[in-house]
Amino acid sequence: MDRVKTGVAGLDTMLSGGLLPARPYVVSGPTGGGKTILSAHFLLEGLHAQEPCLLVTLDEPPIEVKSNMAVFGWNMDRLKILDATPDVRAHKRTRSVIDVGTSLDVRDMEQVTDIRQSSQVRALEVTVHSVQKMIKQEFAQHLDRTKQRYKRIVIDSMTALKMFSMHGEDSRILIQSFLRFLSELEATTLIVSEHLDRTVLETEFFLSRGEIRLHKWLDGSFIRRAVSVEKFRGSSFDDRMRPVAITAKGMVVSLDSTPQSREPSSGPKPGESLLETRIIEEVSNAIESVMRGIEEAHRRQVAIRDIEVALSRAMLAFQRRNYQKAMKLVLSCDSALKERIGVAPPPPTPTAPPRPPGGIR
Amino acid sequence: MIAAAKIRTGVAGLDKMLHGGLVPGRPYILSGAPGSGKTILSVQFLREGLEGGERCLFVALEEPPNELKINMRAFRWNLDDLDVLDANSDIRRFEPTPLLEISTEEEPIKMRAIGERIRKTPDFESKEVTVHSLQQLLKNLLVKKSYERVVIDSITALKYFCMREFETALTTQSFMRYLSESKVTSLLTLELPEEGEVPPEAFLARGEFRLHKLRDETGIKRFVSVEKYKGSSHEEAVFPFEITNSGIVVNTVSKPAMAI
Repeated sequence: MDRVKTGVAGLDTMLSGGLLPARPYVVSGPTGGGKTILSAHFLLEGLHAQEPCLLVTLDEPPIEVKSNMAVFGWNMDRLKILDATPDVRAHKRTRSVIDVGTSLDVRDMEQVTDIRQSSQVRALEVTVHSVQKMIKQEFAQHLDRTKQRYKRIVIDSMTALKMFSMHGEDSRILIQSFLRFLSELEATTLIVSEHLDRTVLETEFFLSRGEIRLHKWLDGSFIRRAVSVEKFRGSSFDDRMRPVAITAKGMVVSLDSTPQSREPSSGPKPGESLLETRIIEEVSNAIESVMRGIEEAHRRQVAIRDIEVALSRAMLAFQRRNYQKAMKLVLSCDSALKERIGVAPPPPTPTAPPRPPGGIR
Repeated sequence: MIAAAKIRTGVAGLDKMLHGGLVPGRPYILSGAPGSGKTILSVQFLREGLEGGERCLFVALEEPPNELKINMRAFRWNLDDLDVLDANSDIRRFEPTPLLEISTEEEPIKMRAIGERIRKTPDFESKEVTVHSLQQLLKNLLVKKSYERVVIDSITALKYFCMREFETALTTQSFMRYLSESKVTSLLTLELPEEGEVPPEAFLARGEFRLHKLRDETGIKRFVSVEKYKGSSHEEAVFPFEITNSGIVVNTVSKPAMAI
């Protein structure tokens, strides 16, 4: 099957040639990770191939997007920008920027948002539904005008869309429906999303057909960047994390190396393995100390069967890489053991309970 | 212990970990983070059934069937006779147009008959899948077609998108209860967050098999573990697996990933 090139050569190689067409993908990463630049590459690639491309901007007003991209010297004149920033009216109209007011059936929009202001300056509330409507309308009008369908769409960003416009518990269904809508347009879509909380399962992440994750961390006084493919349905991919540089020509991925320097252990990504090693060390030290305690208890003939069971549970959690749980269990073993040894009859050896924090040698 | 013969999962290494396979007629959970290989494994489970001449059903709640078909092409499995039920809700309309619950008459489509392009939401009505309608639909289907293997991909989508007016924990439980009453061997996929708590659904089935995805300098490492398996002994260790051209291959030969 034909692949849709992302416009970043190294990334296309990582993706075994590019994205599969007509599907939604997520680009995730921290603020300043290069998400918007990557999406600009994606759109630029489409423009070069004479494909109709649409940028739906929720984060930055179109004029800022334009001037930011001008830095790279890219000609994106033919890019259609759908301005879905909440205060649409306040911004000047730029060429090839679709004015939401004219492209929208405002009445319908108001019905949804429940905001009706008689003044000329409308505070348009952006909701998933209104954005969906804007896209739909623009898609249809574009098809009508040019007999061409949009091939590439970027939603920048889902995080903003959620922040501005999700009310209550229905947001998952709204996103599901929105992604379905994007799939039915049969355009290849990049959804920019900041993944803030790794313990929460965000709808767009499991529904999207793939995730490209950008990483950024501080190494001494340098900012290091990397990119990884976390998920890619229906295709093989390079599963290594590859270093990224943002140059005067845009994003460059180097394929011949992996990031040399890793994030200090305090940060979450991408020093995970380093972090993991440290945690493993910590937990196994704790386990060892408890084991020494158990030996000691055996020597003193203190009943500790339950602690042994608890410890094996901790080891199981440890084995399953549930380090937090393992640590918790080990620590409770440790304190239970200390207590047990503490209340037990004095040992035959002159070593006095309570045992020193470093464990018994 | 159990007299009934176990059935194979379609992944030799996993069968080994399960000491022979699955006790038939029960629901099982297959959990893992996005991109860990759940859908592939569940299709392998169905393929095993198809090869043995069983009737198999894939209930697609996450991706449209046309994409499933394209994605599985790379493995060159013969899935022609697989029944696929498209349980993806349509685009929701906000105008007061009729919102149809998925019909209880809806029929699954044979894999071979699935088109290349996505099914479009009709202009004047939207199909909405609710847990209730899906259950009703499955009830009819299971009676009519006597499926032996069913995959629900995923129970997370079911919970997130199809239980708007239901109490999720209770409804999930009743859905699972329904599956075990109907005596079909079912595999329900469950999305896990990258870190933190495992959703409560994981504990509702007769067994839970978990796919782990870990990243190190050399790329993504994948592991599988049997977290729970009622009515059978199983391997306790975590084993590495790979997604190859012929699907998921669990390596049970080498030492377990993190045996203590």
